[in-house]
Amino acid sequence: MPQLNPEFFVSQLFWLAVFFTFLFVFLWRVSLPRIATVLEKRQNKIDENLSSAKELQEQAMEIEKKINDQINKAKLETDEKIKETINALQENVSSQLSSLDKDLEKKVSDAEKEILKSKDDQMKNINNEIVNITKLTVGKITDIELSDNELNKVIETHKGNFN
Amino acid sequence: MAAKDSPLKQFEIDPISNIELGGYNISFTNSSFAMLITVLVITLFLTFTVNTRSIIPSRMQLISELMYNFIAQLLSDTVGDNGKRYFPFVFSLFMFVLIGNMVGMIPYQFTFTSHIIVTFALAAVVFIGVTILGFINHGIKFFTFFYIPGVPFYMHPLLIPIEVISYLSRPISLSVRLFANMLAGHTLLKVFAGFVVSMPFFTGVFPLAFIVALTGLEILIAFLQAYVFAILTCLYINDAYHLH
Repeated sequence: MPQLNPEFFVSQLFWLAVFFTFLFVFLWRVSLPRIATVLEKRQNKIDENLSSAKELQEQAMEIEKKINDQINKAKLETDEKIKETINALQENVSSQLSSLDKDLEKKVSDAEKEILKSKDDQMKNINNEIVNITKLTVGKITDIELSDNELNKVIETHKGNFN
Repeated sequence: MAAKDSPLKQFEIDPISNIELGGYNISFTNSSFAMLITVLVITLFLTFTVNTRSIIPSRMQLISELMYNFIAQLLSDTVGDNGKRYFPFVFSLFMFVLIGNMVGMIPYQFTFTSHIIVTFALAAVVFIGVTILGFINHGIKFFTFFYIPGVPFYMHPLLIPIEVISYLSRPISLSVRLFANMLAGHTLLKVFAGFVVSMPFFTGVFPLAFIVALTGLEILIAFLQAYVFAILTCLYINDAYHLH
């Protein structure tokens, strides 16, 4: 078994020491710091991006909040405006309605008065007609000439009967 | 044993250039060459893929980052915050074993992790380092690591020696695990490769198919053993911080 031949033990150990020491020092001083720098740089970049993303998100949330506030404010304002307009319209309508009512009432009462007046007039005419017809009828049937006053008296007394 | 066709011949060390220092033979061998390739692959890959240092990584850069995060995660899961300062060491260890194993999967390439002396040296560094760390963190109290609380007192004479032995056998188990896996896998591949040649007619196709499947398994084991080496190192470091 060549492994157990001590002839080259010293040589093996010597070159192992040389090469491994070189490797260790080189990696320790040159290669590993390089890789560590790259990894650190990347980590920093990632952290930076993450923090800026977080910042942007916060800003976005703030803006969204502002927008919502403004929307709410606008909604409230519109609601108030709508209410005001409705109230104003209602007042307007009710005042107009009341004035119309008054007008109508006045017109109705005027018409009633006129009707009453014309009724009276008609009644008077009817009385005159009755007097004339009675006078004429009585004159034709008999020869009695009746005065208007007498006839009027009779009609007055019997007015309730034919009204 | 090291005959011409022996499946163990692949583990033989051939000097490329003979060097001697202070009476010791420190020849640059095929094993040293594999280590050199491994170190070059790791350093060049990790350096050039991250060269642009781009925030959005290229695929190659992503591989480096994944390896980095893999070991960093492993350390933080097992040791916690204390583990950060051992990251370069554990990462180097993991990459060295992993790429060493992978380089060994290249045909005709030497596998230095299949040599017990190499794996034992790595495990010994871990063991000695962790023991020193334990004494630095806890001083003489580190010996209470071998004392298991909540056990009947008459069990201690039995348990304390067991704990001591298991602690001392850590470098052996750590190194032998890696060494044996690599040795067995490569030997098996070689044995079946021998069958491909020696079997008559087309029947050599069957061991060839087996080799293909086994190569996939060996690549998995190459990764797994590197991972096990790294995670056990992490656990030992954790033990040096948290006694029972």
